[in-house]
Amino acid sequence: MEVVFAGFGGQGVLTAGLILAEMALEDGKNVTWMPAYGPTMRGGKAYSVVKYADGMIGGPDMEELDILVAMNEPSLEYAAYLKDGGVIIVNTNNVSEDAKIDSRFEVVRVPCLTLAQKASNPKAANIVAIGAMIKKCGLFPEERAKEVLRQIFVNKGKEKYTAMNEAAFMEGYQAV
Amino acid sequence: MKKMWKGNHAIAEAAMRAGCEFYAGYPITPQTEVGEYLSSRMPELGRRFLQAENEMSAIYMIFGAYACGMRSMTSSSGPGFSLKQEGIAYLCANNFPSVLVNVQRWGPGLGTLDSSQTDYLRDTRGGGNGDYRVIVYAPNSIQETVDLMYNAFDVAEKYRNPVEILSEAALGQMMEPVEFPPFKERKEDLGWTFDGTDRPHGRIDNPGKPGALRAKVEAIMANEQRWENYMVEDADYVFVAFGLPSRTSRNAVDLLREQGIKAGLIRPITVWPFPFDAFKEIPGTVKGIISVESTDAGQLVEDVALATKRMCRGNVPVYGLFSGQKIPKTKEIVTYVNGILSGENKEVF
Repeated sequence: MEVVFAGFGGQGVLTAGLILAEMALEDGKNVTWMPAYGPTMRGGKAYSVVKYADGMIGGPDMEELDILVAMNEPSLEYAAYLKDGGVIIVNTNNVSEDAKIDSRFEVVRVPCLTLAQKASNPKAANIVAIGAMIKKCGLFPEERAKEVLRQIFVNKGKEKYTAMNEAAFMEGYQAV
Repeated sequence: MKKMWKGNHAIAEAAMRAGCEFYAGYPITPQTEVGEYLSSRMPELGRRFLQAENEMSAIYMIFGAYACGMRSMTSSSGPGFSLKQEGIAYLCANNFPSVLVNVQRWGPGLGTLDSSQTDYLRDTRGGGNGDYRVIVYAPNSIQETVDLMYNAFDVAEKYRNPVEILSEAALGQMMEPVEFPPFKERKEDLGWTFDGTDRPHGRIDNPGKPGALRAKVEAIMANEQRWENYMVEDADYVFVAFGLPSRTSRNAVDLLREQGIKAGLIRPITVWPFPFDAFKEIPGTVKGIISVESTDAGQLVEDVALATKRMCRGNVPVYGLFSGQKIPKTKEIVTYVNGILSGENKEVF
């Protein structure tokens, strides 16, 4: 499985990748997580690539994507790496309706920011996207995904955010 | 239970587990997280961390610390590592151990921050003035980076020679599941260090140096070659790749075999000493050896050609896939082999 989370710096695309990586690790898979690094900044281009498999993983960078999570419009350029029939989760808050997307791909439109605000957690648009992606692609069972999400924030000493993040996750999960 | 670790943090933690007592370095992308991690971790463990004023002072601080027997290391990337070469030559001139980390970025000059292997020839040939070699490990996963770092000080002290971990930008920046070995410490005296007495420091007089270096190089070449072979024994085409390109090459072996093309892979883990012995397994029926590397015009391919000349009978063609400032993709490697079969891709040697 090869997934790219892309957006602008500050949208949490690196963290989103890490959350997925932790879920895959918990599922007993080999995992790689690779950030776009170097001269990136808040508002600039950012992405992370997550790959997981039972066997050995090759290069950590983009090769043939199964899923692209596009948090903003410029991120759609990575669709060039997407397999035929691949899934694009589109954050409609930052991608216009008439943005061109090849019909070879399956598109799921989710207003990630609006739903995050609905969950009183406006920073968690990335977690909304994860919820939508997991449901759409059937990656992990709901309860398992929520448990890993909880654990990540507990381990970071940010236990007080677990309920808010779970709410954001469920908004995305139920939006599909 | 394995945990997700960033390559640069993992190599730093592994150095702590291996008993590193002193670090000096200077920040440079893509390895800055090594020093950043150690700046808090080392004081926590009661060890010494120092951000030097530049790369050259850092390497000479390592020189001084190891002269007194402290397990010491430095780290940098391509351009910073160039600045350290004088100090590395002096470490070798004095037969001092040390552990050096180079998280490569594409060069020459400042180059870019992209992942590459363009420091291969410099680092495997010594890099500074004079005739010497540094033992160079080239891991292809974060777990292997940790495992090699864990033994690096032991090997460096055994041969009284610097040991380098040759990493790559992507390997430093990415995360993978890792398990760490327990903490260890070298308790015994190395026997030759400056301890305040007038004991012999094992210095070799200049007329004796050529013979001593030759003996050391021969011993290291005989004892320290490390590699991993994959499906080489019946292969028509054998890739040679280290670091991250070795992973996409291995996937390419599987894909090609599905297409009925018998491919194999030799993965050097030590790039100096180069694992000539790995080539023993290549069958006499082999049709070509292919160096797969993140360089612009080919560097590893020279060692591959030497090893092929020495270990294979006949004039086996040696090809090169040079992917520049990125990791060669699995599909590119497969396409390259198809290009050899169609006669479109020509041998380098």
